[in-house]
This record gives sequence, structure tokens and C-alpha cells, in this order.
Amino acid sequence: MGSVDNNKSLFAAAALEAPGDLAVALALPATAGHFDEMHGRTLDRAPTVASSTQNQNQNQNQSQGQRPLHVAGAAVTAVVKPDVIASAASSKGPAPDWTRFFNFLGGDGFDDLNHRTANLQRQIRDNGVTYNVYADADGPQRPWSLDLFPLILSTQDWAQIETGVRQRAQLLEGIMADVYGPQQLLSLGLLPAALVQGHPGYLRPMHGVLPVGGAFLRIAAFDLARGPDGRWWVVSQRTQAPSGLGYLLENRLAISRLFPEAFRELKVQRLAAAYKTLIDGMKAASPARRSGEESRIVLLTPGPYNETYFEHAYLARYLGLTLVEGSDLLVREDKLYLKTLQGLEPVHGVLKRLDDEFLDPLELRSDSTLGVPGLLQAIRAGNVLVTNAPGSAFLESSALLGFLPALSRHLLGQPLAMPSLATWWCGEQAALQAVLPRLKECVIKATYPSSDIHSVIAQSLSSRELDEWAGRLVRRSEEYTVQAYLPLSQTPTWQGQRIAPRSTMLRVFAVADGAGSWQVLPGGLARLAGVNAKIASMQQGGSSADVWVVSAPVPASGPSSGSAAHAAAPMPARTEPGAAPQDWTHSQHKPAVTSRAAENLFWLGRYTERTENAIRMAQLTLRSLNGEDQSSPPLLAWLSEMAVKNGLVMDTVPPATQARRVFERSLIASLADTDQAASVGYNLRALKGAASAVRERLSQEQWHIIVKAEADFFSRCESFSGPEHPASQAPEYSSVEALAALESASGFLAAMTGAQTDRMSRDDGWRLLSTGRHIERLNTLSAALILGFETGAVHDEGGFGAMLALFDSTITFHAQYQQQRDIPALLDKLVLDRDNPRSLGWVTQTLRGRLARLAENTAGKAQAPELTQTLPDPGSWILKELCSAAQGADPDQPYANLLIQLERCCEAALDLSDLLSRRYFSHVAQDEHSLGA
Amino acid sequence: MLLHLVHETRYAYSPTVESAHHVLHLKPASHTGQQLLRHSLGISPQPARLQELTDVYGNTRSYFSLQGPHDKLTVRATSIVSTLALNGEPQDAAPGLPWEAVREQFRYQAGGAYDSACEFIFASPYVPRDDAFAEFARPSFSPGRPLPEAASDLMERIHAAMTYESESTEVGTPALEALQSGKGVCQDFAHIMVACCRAMGVPARYVSGYLLTTPPPGQPRLIGSDASHAWASVYCPVESKASGMALADGQSPGLWLDFDPTNNRAPGEDYVTLAIGRDFLDVSPMRGVIRGGAHHVLDVAVTMTPIDKLPEPG
Repeated sequence: MGSVDNNKSLFAAAALEAPGDLAVALALPATAGHFDEMHGRTLDRAPTVASSTQNQNQNQNQSQGQRPLHVAGAAVTAVVKPDVIASAASSKGPAPDWTRFFNFLGGDGFDDLNHRTANLQRQIRDNGVTYNVYADADGPQRPWSLDLFPLILSTQDWAQIETGVRQRAQLLEGIMADVYGPQQLLSLGLLPAALVQGHPGYLRPMHGVLPVGGAFLRIAAFDLARGPDGRWWVVSQRTQAPSGLGYLLENRLAISRLFPEAFRELKVQRLAAAYKTLIDGMKAASPARRSGEESRIVLLTPGPYNETYFEHAYLARYLGLTLVEGSDLLVREDKLYLKTLQGLEPVHGVLKRLDDEFLDPLELRSDSTLGVPGLLQAIRAGNVLVTNAPGSAFLESSALLGFLPALSRHLLGQPLAMPSLATWWCGEQAALQAVLPRLKECVIKATYPSSDIHSVIAQSLSSRELDEWAGRLVRRSEEYTVQAYLPLSQTPTWQGQRIAPRSTMLRVFAVADGAGSWQVLPGGLARLAGVNAKIASMQQGGSSADVWVVSAPVPASGPSSGSAAHAAAPMPARTEPGAAPQDWTHSQHKPAVTSRAAENLFWLGRYTERTENAIRMAQLTLRSLNGEDQSSPPLLAWLSEMAVKNGLVMDTVPPATQARRVFERSLIASLADTDQAASVGYNLRALKGAASAVRERLSQEQWHIIVKAEADFFSRCESFSGPEHPASQAPEYSSVEALAALESASGFLAAMTGAQTDRMSRDDGWRLLSTGRHIERLNTLSAALILGFETGAVHDEGGFGAMLALFDSTITFHAQYQQQRDIPALLDKLVLDRDNPRSLGWVTQTLRGRLARLAENTAGKAQAPELTQTLPDPGSWILKELCSAAQGADPDQPYANLLIQLERCCEAALDLSDLLSRRYFSHVAQDEHSLGA
Repeated sequence: MLLHLVHETRYAYSPTVESAHHVLHLKPASHTGQQLLRHSLGISPQPARLQELTDVYGNTRSYFSLQGPHDKLTVRATSIVSTLALNGEPQDAAPGLPWEAVREQFRYQAGGAYDSACEFIFASPYVPRDDAFAEFARPSFSPGRPLPEAASDLMERIHAAMTYESESTEVGTPALEALQSGKGVCQDFAHIMVACCRAMGVPARYVSGYLLTTPPPGQPRLIGSDASHAWASVYCPVESKASGMALADGQSPGLWLDFDPTNNRAPGEDYVTLAIGRDFLDVSPMRGVIRGGAHHVLDVAVTMTPIDKLPEPG
């Protein structure tokens, strides 16, 4: 049903009908037995699976010695039966919020939806939102998948979720405090030791530690599902390093832009306040308060190969935190420091996205290279606030869900406000016996984190397989947890031609406000399953959706209406998500440039320049080989030597003077060769590598140019130099193609260098980027000039022109010297000139300026001369001396003086690079090793 | 017996190490069977600060870090310990519960009694769970057999089945691999014993320590001398709550009985306990993370001598 054409005609025919009603009428209904978010009801009979019983772990039968026959999880109050469903959603029509949403689509109705989808996809691509599926250096970076329609939650739905989630966050905190403290829950038998001491996430070095600020948890994520009865159930919880806070923000930004009217009119609750609460809470609790310093909080990422690295960079930028890897930090005297260009700077708070076991190779996994040795000591000493405190991973076990009802009564004195899916931890005999007969209706999960056990939906097993699983459950009972199978609710999505339902799970976040209570972020990340898929997982190819929480209508009579949703007041308009957060996280610090970022920026600069030079050399060479003036031996010799020196061809390739076509073919074949050559493709890729390590410092646009440049170049090269195009292909043809690829790359490079010059904040990191470019330029151009004189190319008409072209100075030269072709004029323009950005005089002058500022900012003025003292100053050279041979010099080389000076320039460039590495980056490069004796 | 102990660890690095963090388990424990009388730690180069902490098992952990460049590191732990013979022949202890009763005691039941010895019942990094351990252990755990007797039999069988071969395994060798290859060093013997007990549902822990070199007259020289030694300790609850021998966990009403499968005997006054843990990883004498020093040479020397009386403090 419902093709676009149909819809269009229907709109035309039934113009009187509101688009909302029509949308609802045309949407495919949810699968029978699944709650339909749009229609607000469950169609047909629901399977009576989700907890038709109250069996869970944690029996209340305290009498000793008596095998409990009845394991009572009394907090599972809802019993899912079809007759309950009607009352959950008694109205027959669609949920009113959805109707309003579709009404705001306006007159163009569905016609516009594909247009908006295209817009959305472009936005995601342009913003570089990715999810690294295989978390692999060379693996595909999959674009983030986001559906056009948000999941809309009514005020009533949200009230239930908010209350339930807040209570659970509080409960988890209570469990942490007990487990790392008095361990009463274990003593009382409310929590099995197998789920604490038997869980690898319980960290013994944290035992007896009360984290600074008094709280263990500041973020908790809960995965919720809506059952056929219309109620929300907790399926699992994440505390170690929950992902989603960045993606959901990006989702919000994209979707609210596409439906501005609906977003405004539904009074969707804003998100910014929750992020502010988290950071403010961390700052308030951080040890910086004790010393009166301003707190510095960093976001610790495992690095660019992590599957959710995009969101680490995104969040760091949004929250105004420095994005760091373990190697950026070090511990001295139990205090944590950030390595920056300015030296070591104290760090008071860490928002971590690294799994606990990798945090400290000294006391946890010794093979971890992602952590910081000594970090646990700093935590124990109360000198750093880590969010969440290490050691919470045991809370993530599904098995825990079965024990929460009793734990809630014990710790909070309340029953659970929101139920968990019925859960049986098989390590408890009574639970195992209770669940075995009903295994077929359940999902089998691993109790402990393990990569080799995935959830098994028992319905899909044959009866033999089911028996095998039952056997496993009995033999290794502690390792398995069984959960009731809950048919997920289905939310409308736009599938190109029609509205179709997809199963969804909702991840919501609670953040601690620092005063001992929790705030629930009014929104979340909805994860959508593929067609017919029963599990919603981003790793298994699902999609996502924004989550809109509708504000309660503001009562005319004043603020007495006590709805929970209303209490989480919508944010003032200025805190629109995605807006610069500086208004509330503005820092008195200058943002730190970490040593790692500095090194990557330096190399970004060098690779940018190398790429540009390689492109220009390749262009010059191909044009010269195919141009009018094909037979100038000095020019060909110069080009050949330059190509070898700069890695454009291997040194075994005969020079163009001997075998012009072989040379040309090699040059073309090497353009995209990243193994043996260091040509354009190699440098482009290296450039992208350096840029990806400092992504949080680059604008989306700048990153996008880099990604596109690399993709464009390699795909173009494939068409003429791939394996399916052997050397037999006419070089005339492929050189045209190659020149086109180079031309295109050159355009991208211009955009990149433009962005570097014009769109980056000129801090010390930028100075190093610029220094990298100029060091590279000084070395390459000096070497090119030397070769030009040695091969005699500069004395040749073609060579003279090529030299000008390489220095990008053809136009300025001709403007000043017209058609002159004498060496002094050339040297004046390319060496002495302090206004030509490619003359050596300008390059060294710029370097001097950058280094002086850098030294001043990082180590005091005194050290500036040390960095630049070996740097020659071509701007001050005397032309006459350069053009006259030294006394007693080789009469064949009247420019010997010049050549000596140029050699000094090359050496100075390399020396300077070494000096900078030693001074600013050396501690980054050093590897760490673990020892044991 | 009064024992004088020197445990010296020397590293030589190349290239130079820029900075280092270390954690040590080199301070012998005090418990019913032994008393630490003197202890000192000499570290060169001298760290700015040395911190001591009691870990979750009651062991003393020492931490230090070195921020300056160094190409050598020496850590010398000197201790004087007085030991008693009481550490005991397992058979001398109360007959003990049948092993099944102990197993049942550690099965979780809601609201059931808690015993902190359950810390040592689960798999740990070097002692993973595997059916092979249960298979090996089963013949020793016949129905109704008192646990001390079963454990003693298990020790004897491990000793018989395994060949002691120095340097046949590395520090990181998992217990399962050693069991399958049939050879190993004391660490492997201890891990296997621990794994077998846990496989039967009985708490067992790893003991790191030393064994006196000089044999008593007329007796053969024992393996494991002049180096760190390791053995296993098995939790044997008794019916009355009379005993208080437990180390580091006052809550355990039971008795921890030590077994040395490498030498097939019960540790006596010629043994010194350094630390206890779930496995070697919890108690390795010295652990560290260094920056630089890609190549290093390690030299460990342990010397233990009986002395007549405490030397004058000086």
C-alpha cells in the first residue's frame, strides 16, 4: 500500500483531510502482538510471554534449609495479558501527539519527505557522523544511520520513564557504595557473590575507596522496551562508559532542523540542561574545589579506532572538554596531569569512555596501552574525579535485574517504580528450576561480559538445540541469565514510499546533579531494528531515531500542576542543542594543546605541504612530457631526479632522459601506490591519518574536504592505474586522466590550505601546523633549486619556466620581469623576496615568527633563539655574492656559494624538525612496557 | 624458627627508562603461623616516596614511582620472620566437613549465609574455569570424603602427575596449559591445585612465599629453594566456629589449610608466606610500567638463612 503516487493523488483528492489523519490512515500497522507507537495500542492478541509469572531471583522465603519452591520477585507487578492492553491505550485513534506531528508536515505532505530524507543524509555525511562498525584502522567507517521520524513520547509516558529511571540510578549508586564499602548486601544474601567477586568488572583495587565528591556514578544509561501492555520495561543498564550521549545530540540537531514547526509546536523538551548538569556536577565535586583552582575536566577516549570515536570528539567539542588519549596523561605523586605544549597541567576530572580494565596497566590489565599508569592511585588519593568511578561494570550484568526488586526495598525502602523484564539468574537453583520449563519463551544471555556468547532467542531454536541449551544452563548455571522475550514496540519510520513500523529500544540517560540526586535527560537514543529483526543493535545494522519528549501543557492557573515532566522544565531557548556551549563552559584557561595534538598538527602541516608539492611536481612532469617542448634533456633530468627524491617513482626506474614512456607510466602508476611510493596518494592518506587524530580541532567542513579529497583521488586513479589497467594502456590517454585527477586533488588542497589559514584558531597547535608546512616547504624548494642548478635545468628555457611553476611564482615573476630569463631575477624572486609566500626568504621569516611566539608561550622568551639559531636568513643574502663563484671554486659551477647556502637550508629544516620533536613530542613517542618479576 | 630473608630484584634497561611506576608484594604477612619482626625495603635509585597500602586480601602492597631517567633498578627487601611449626599437617586438623557440604555452603541461596571465603571460589585471570580441572580432581573427591583428606589426596596426585621442570613455563602460562603439558614450576603446581578445588566448588587460594634452602640433616634438598616459592591453600570450614586461623579475613569461620603440591607436603616452619591472592597475578612480587627501556635484563635472587637470634637493630 501507499506508494508515493498514491499518496499524492490522495492528498489532491482529499485536500480537506488533515495530513495527520491521512498519515495515520496510510501507515502500515505494527506487527500483531507488538505495541504500535503511532496508534498507541497493540493489535490482535499479544503472546502472553512477558512475565506471565512473577518468578525471578531473590526469593523472600527466609526460612533456612528449606529449598524455596517459589522464587518471588514481587516487584514485577504488571502481568501482561491481552485484557490489560485495552486499558493501556483505550483510544482507538492514533496517539494525539503523532497526529499533531504529521499535521505540521504541511500541505506538501509526503512529497516532501523524500526530499527531507535526502537532506538528512547529506547532513550526516557532511558532518562526518560515523560509527566504525568493525572498529578497525582500515575498516569501513559507516555513516550513522538515522531515521527521518522521531520517536514521540507523550507527557504520561515520560513521567513513568523519568520516575523509574531516576530511582534506578539512585539504586545502582547505592549498590556500588555498598559493594566497595561494607558489603552488607553480600552478607545479607541479597546479592550473590558470583555477580560481584565472580564478575570481572568488580575491581579489587577500588575496594574501600570512597571517590572524591562522594559518588561512584554520575552517568547511567538504561535500555528500555515497551511491552504490548504499553508499559516501559528495563532491559539492561550501562554504567561503565555508556555510549549515545553524542549521537543523540547529533540526531536531535538534524531532526529538529527538518521539522522546525512540529518541534516548536509540540514543545519538545530540550536536552542542553542535562549536559550542563553533568559537567557542573563534576566540576563542583572535583578536587580543584579544595585548592581553589578552576577544574580541568578531560574526556578520555580509547582513540580513533574505537567504534564510537565520532561521538567522543563530538561530545568533547560540545562540552568544551579536552579530548585526550591515555598517552596524553600521566600521574606524578598521585596527581593526574595533561601533557601539553606548555608543560604538565593538572587534571581534576575525567569523563571516561574507556572500559575500566584498560584504565591503569599498573594494577589492571598490564597489556593495556590505552590507560594511564598510576591512575588508580590518583583516584584512591582523591586527587581526581573519574566519571564513572572504575568498578561499575558488574552492574551491567543482566543477571542483576532479578535482584533489584529486593535491593530496592532494602536500600531505598521502596518498590521499583519501573519493572525490569522478568529475569532469572541460573546460578540460583530455584530460579534455574523455575525457568527451565518455559525456556522456549525466553532469551538466553551471558551473565558475564564475553565476546563469544550472544543473546539467543529460544523461539528460534529447534527442540534439539533447546535441549542442548538447557544442558548448558544446568552445567554452567552461573554463566547464564534468562530473560522473558518481550515483543518490542514498533515506531513509524519513513521507508522512501511509505510509513512502516520498526521495532525499537530506547536508551535513556540519567546524570547526577552533584547534590545527590539525579536528572533524567528528557530524550534519548531510539535504536531501530531492521525489517523483521528482533534485536535493535547498531552493531547489527540497525538504525536510530531522535526521541521527542512532549512537554506538559502549561496550565493557565500557574505552576501548581505537579506532573513529573513539567518539573524538568524546558530549557530557555538559547540553550538549543548544538549551539556553542561556551556560554556555560567558558574557561579562564586557554584551551590546552596536548602534546599528542601538537604532534599530529605538526604532521598535518608537513603532509599537507608534501601532498601539495607532490601534486605540483606530478603535474609539471606530466605536462612537460606531453607538452610542446618535449626534448630538453636538462629539464627531463631535473624532473626525473626530483621525482626520485620526493618518492614519486622508485629509484630503480630509468630517468625520463633514457626511457621517457617507462618513466611516465611509473609515475602514473605510483600516484596512488601507498606501499612502495610516497606519491600523492600516500601523502593524502597520511594527511588524513594525522587529521583524524585531531578531529575535534577541525571544523566538520574541513574534515569533510579531507575525506572527500582522499576518496576522490583514489577512485579516479583506479580508473587508469588499477590492476585491470596494465601498462599496455596508451599513456597518452592515462596521462590525461592522471592530470584530471591531479587537478581535482589540487582543488581540494587549495580548500584545505585555505581552511588551515583562515578557519583555525591561531593557538600554539596551529603554529606547529604552520611550522610543519614551512619546514617542509623550505626543504623541498631548497632541494629543488639545488637540483635545478646541478642538472642545468635553470639555464634551459623549459626548465626555467618549470622552476617558476614549482614555486607557484610564474605570474608574479612575469609581472615584474616580463619575459626575462636571467638567474639573478630568478633568485631575487624565489630566494630573496620576503613577500612571495614561496620564496625561501619569506618561508624562513615566517618560521622565525612562528617559533618565536611558540617559544614565548611554552617556555619563555629566552628559548626562542635556541630554536631558530641555525635557521639561515635568505632574505638577507646578497644577490651578487650568490651569483659569483667563491675564490678557487669549480669554474663549471659559478653558483657554488648559492648551493652551499641552499644545502644549509635543507639541513636547517631537518634539524629544526628534530629539535621540535625532542622538545615538544618526545614523551608521546616513547612506548610503555609492562614488567613483572 | 627465626629466618632472615633477602629478596633482591635487579633490572638493567636499554635504552634508558624515562619514568616508571611499580607495585610490590614483598612484605611478609603476620599471622598465626608466622610473625614479621623486621622489614626494610631498599630501592635504588631512591624514589621520592614509598606508599604502603593493605589490599583486599590483607597483603601489604607498596607503590613507588621514578620520574628521572635511569638504566638500572634494584629493589632489595630484607625481612626477619619467626615461624611456627603450627602451620600444620592438614591431617592434624579437625576431620573437617565432607567436601560436598562445603560446596553446598557456597551455593547461592537468597538470604543464605555469607562466607567471605567465596572470594576464592570463582575463576580468576590465571585460573580460568575448565572441565579438565574437574576431571582431574574428581578421583580425589569421592562421595562423603572429608575435604582435608580429599585435598591432601589431590596434592599427592598433582605431584605424581606433573614433572617439575624449571623454566618449562613462563610467568604468564595459564594453569590449563601446564596441566595439559604435564610439567611446570611451583607456580603451575599451585595454580592447578587451586583450579581443581574451585572446579569442585571449594574455595582455594594461591600463596606466594619462600621455602628454606638448607635441608635439615639427613633430608634431601627441596625444590623451590633460592627463589620465590608458591603453593595452594584450601578452605576447610569446621563445624564449630572455634578456629581463628584465617589470614586477612576475620569473617571466615573456617580454616585455611596449606598444601604444597610441588613438594607433596604440608608447609611447616621452613615456609614463609609473602602474600595470598586468587592467583599469581594478584600477588606478583613486583609489577611495573616503564616508559622507555624497550630491552631489559631481569635478575632475581632470594636468600633465606636461619638465624639464632635477632641481630641488634642498626
